[in-house]
Amino acid sequence: MTRRARFVLFLVAAAAVALLFVAAFVRLPPFGGDFHPYGDRAVRAAFAHRTANAVAAVNFDQRALDTLGEETILFSAVLGAVVLLRQIAGERRRPPRRARVSGAIRRLGVAMLPVALLTGLYVVAHGQITPGGGFQGGVVVATALHLLYVAADYGALERVRPLSLYEIGDATGEAAYVVTGVATVLAGSAFLANVLPWGTFGTLTSAGTVVVLNAAVGMEVACGVVVLLATFLDQAVEIEEPSHAPASGGTPDGSGGDAG
Amino acid sequence: MNVARLLPLVVVVPLLGAAVLAAGGRRLPRVASDSVSVAFAAVSAVLAGAALLGGAHGDPYVVEWLGGWRPGPGGQGVGIVLAGDPLSLGLAAFASLLVVAVLLYSWRYFEEPPRRGSGSFPALMLIFQAGMCGFCLTGDLFNSFVFFELMGVVAYALTGFRVEERRPVQGALAFGIVNSLGGYAMLLGIALLYARTGELGFAQTGRRLDGQHPDALVLAAFVLVAAGLLVKAAAVPFHFWLPDAHAVAPTPVSMLLSGVMVELGVFGVARLYWTVFAGPGGLPQEAVGRALVAVGVVTALLGAAMSWRQRHLKRLLAFSTVAHIGLFLIGAGLLTAEGTAGTSLYVLAHGCVKAALFACTGILLDRYASVDERELHGKARELPLTGGLFVLGGLAVCGMPPFGTSLGKAVAEEAAGHTGHWLTAVFVLASAVTGGAVLRAGLRVFAGVGTRPEEVRRRTGAAGSADHTGQRSDRSDRTEDFATDADSTGDVGTRGDEPPETGGRLRRIPVTMLAVPAVLLAAALAAGIVPQWATATADAAQFFASHEGYESVVLDGVNPRPAPGPPAHWTAVGVLLGLLSTALGVGAALLGLRRRTPSEGTERLLRLPARLQSGHIGDYVAWTVAGVALLALLTAPGTHTFG
Repeated sequence: MTRRARFVLFLVAAAAVALLFVAAFVRLPPFGGDFHPYGDRAVRAAFAHRTANAVAAVNFDQRALDTLGEETILFSAVLGAVVLLRQIAGERRRPPRRARVSGAIRRLGVAMLPVALLTGLYVVAHGQITPGGGFQGGVVVATALHLLYVAADYGALERVRPLSLYEIGDATGEAAYVVTGVATVLAGSAFLANVLPWGTFGTLTSAGTVVVLNAAVGMEVACGVVVLLATFLDQAVEIEEPSHAPASGGTPDGSGGDAG
Repeated sequence: MNVARLLPLVVVVPLLGAAVLAAGGRRLPRVASDSVSVAFAAVSAVLAGAALLGGAHGDPYVVEWLGGWRPGPGGQGVGIVLAGDPLSLGLAAFASLLVVAVLLYSWRYFEEPPRRGSGSFPALMLIFQAGMCGFCLTGDLFNSFVFFELMGVVAYALTGFRVEERRPVQGALAFGIVNSLGGYAMLLGIALLYARTGELGFAQTGRRLDGQHPDALVLAAFVLVAAGLLVKAAAVPFHFWLPDAHAVAPTPVSMLLSGVMVELGVFGVARLYWTVFAGPGGLPQEAVGRALVAVGVVTALLGAAMSWRQRHLKRLLAFSTVAHIGLFLIGAGLLTAEGTAGTSLYVLAHGCVKAALFACTGILLDRYASVDERELHGKARELPLTGGLFVLGGLAVCGMPPFGTSLGKAVAEEAAGHTGHWLTAVFVLASAVTGGAVLRAGLRVFAGVGTRPEEVRRRTGAAGSADHTGQRSDRSDRTEDFATDADSTGDVGTRGDEPPETGGRLRRIPVTMLAVPAVLLAAALAAGIVPQWATATADAAQFFASHEGYESVVLDGVNPRPAPGPPAHWTAVGVLLGLLSTALGVGAALLGLRRRTPSEGTERLLRLPARLQSGHIGDYVAWTVAGVALLALLTAPGTHTFG
């Protein structure tokens, strides 16, 4: 279609869809009402299992299968990115160049790194009692490592980032979630039932399996995000465009990102 | 341990396999990772089969509340339920078995696995299987959205798997963008339903709607969720992504996408209607039926016509899938148990046949580095077995008795005939034209029938030379590198510029690559011959098409008594119509073989739809929005009750 035809088609269609939306949205319940049947039930259920953070109870206890699905979506996205951004025949790797970083940034980055790591681990560990959890904390842990890229250079990041370990960690986090569910079935309960002792409300050891699943997701997200960023950074920093000579079907050379 | 406890394992066992492969794929030798993937996929298939048989002996439904969150007496719960009725369990088992077949077909398939791990391809396949099984079995709106997205994410990566080339990446991108739009529509629709009912389960939402009057919000919710599912099903005008993706995906992936994934979209729409909207507070049956049948008819006719004019075999099969999706939508859109029974039979048999045809096409691609019908003219005479399977598959697509495709078509046709005889004609025409296109290509490639093609312009290093270099086609100087259908000659060829997927050209066809399509075709044949198969499917359809039954079994735990379903067996009329569509298909194929170029008339007729298949993602997005609007306009009349 020409640009114009496409635009006209879209405008006409979008106008019709907008009408549908307006007709539907004016019939939504009014904003700020106090009728929340599902929310009330979810909070009651969270307290019944001594989980202070009701969101964590929904994610890792009441609707734990949804979270398994979401975790798997991230796992697949990482796997897919690794596949799609792989080094293909004809592309060459070159070692990253040393970068000059000013002293102030270097000192600040090195000082921030342990703090950021610890914060991430804290957010994962306290997911059942305060806002946060495996997804949020995992991202913080992964980005903490990348302070090295900012404070030093890509070579330094590669030295603390043996990718094969992180890939195994990614898969282990995914597997741990599933294994927890299978274990609950073997224990004679329903899949992903909260069978561990629920502990004392509001303490680190409360909420039973929520803690375990949070840790599994935290591990998967932290490792997965590291691998994901590594895949993109490799494309940007190390892998060069293929030469225009016809590829001879040979396998690409170059070792993984853990040289050094 | 009762059988319901095993239901979640159907979904999660493949995930465990994927994790093992992703972690160990780098260290495992190729044979080990392939074996592990087949083992995990097979375990899941066995579990689904066990649940199906376990349900058949006593209660038809297998219901499992995850985490033990069984709702209270009023049906007020917070948990997710897996509700396997015989039909969805059967579909999950079928999807799992097809994954096993595809994994066997791709045994040692890609010679150049990604540098980091040869386990990634089978791992993605296993996650795909988990997504499909989860989508089939879940009884929860939001959970079905999660699995819808999971299927999508994996399918995009699998489609673009051969990143050495430009087209797979472009196809995967179109697929990803259009399907993501569908996902957003679906999520918005689910949010509207949640706002109205405060529930997320199919059964709970349906029961809350039962006590209310339908209004614009209910209509919009249905339109949005159904639009998302119809994008997955590749119904017109959401279908544009499918040919662009299926034609460039690796062959094993095409087998799964066309064989079962798009059909899951139709299944999803049907289940959405029956479980949520079929009650008194939902949408009137005639409104939903009108929308689905109208979309189905257009999809069937357009898909068939576009399929006829392809030379690129994978695109031909992809458009044939679009046409059959149209027929499935008509059958499911009749909203009767009979139509559902026929469509279910048809879907299963068609999945086997379509996967077998893609498998044969894969053999051609890996041996001749081309899937262009004219260029391969007579070349594959040396592959009589593959040719035989391909032609048999073409006859099965036409609907030749006693294939299961024919039986399913006959039952669905008869159900459609109660609505109007012209619908029967659509069934006959669409299957004849798509089957005829396959037969035409098969006879030309494997038997050298027909006029010699006009001399194809040959480049050096193109088809026929042994050292294949994988350079781009001579149409790469166009702004879009797509093999689009936009050129008026219908000359979408590949000119030997498709690198084989096996690393080098096949000298000998591996036995797995031939055995898999043979077994699949045998299964399609068995589906038509074994009468118990048809009656069991019809009984399953009876349960599937029951709004109250689903609600009471999920929320009240009252399993309905097994009741005999609609009749699903061969009738004289069905056999005659099957023979008629086969005769028409064969006739069309012979006509097509005699012509040197497509006739002027068909060309003029098809110029517009061909031009719309432009490869431009902006076009596809505009059509997707238009599709939502069309669906609303088709469904709206007669849905408003003022009260």
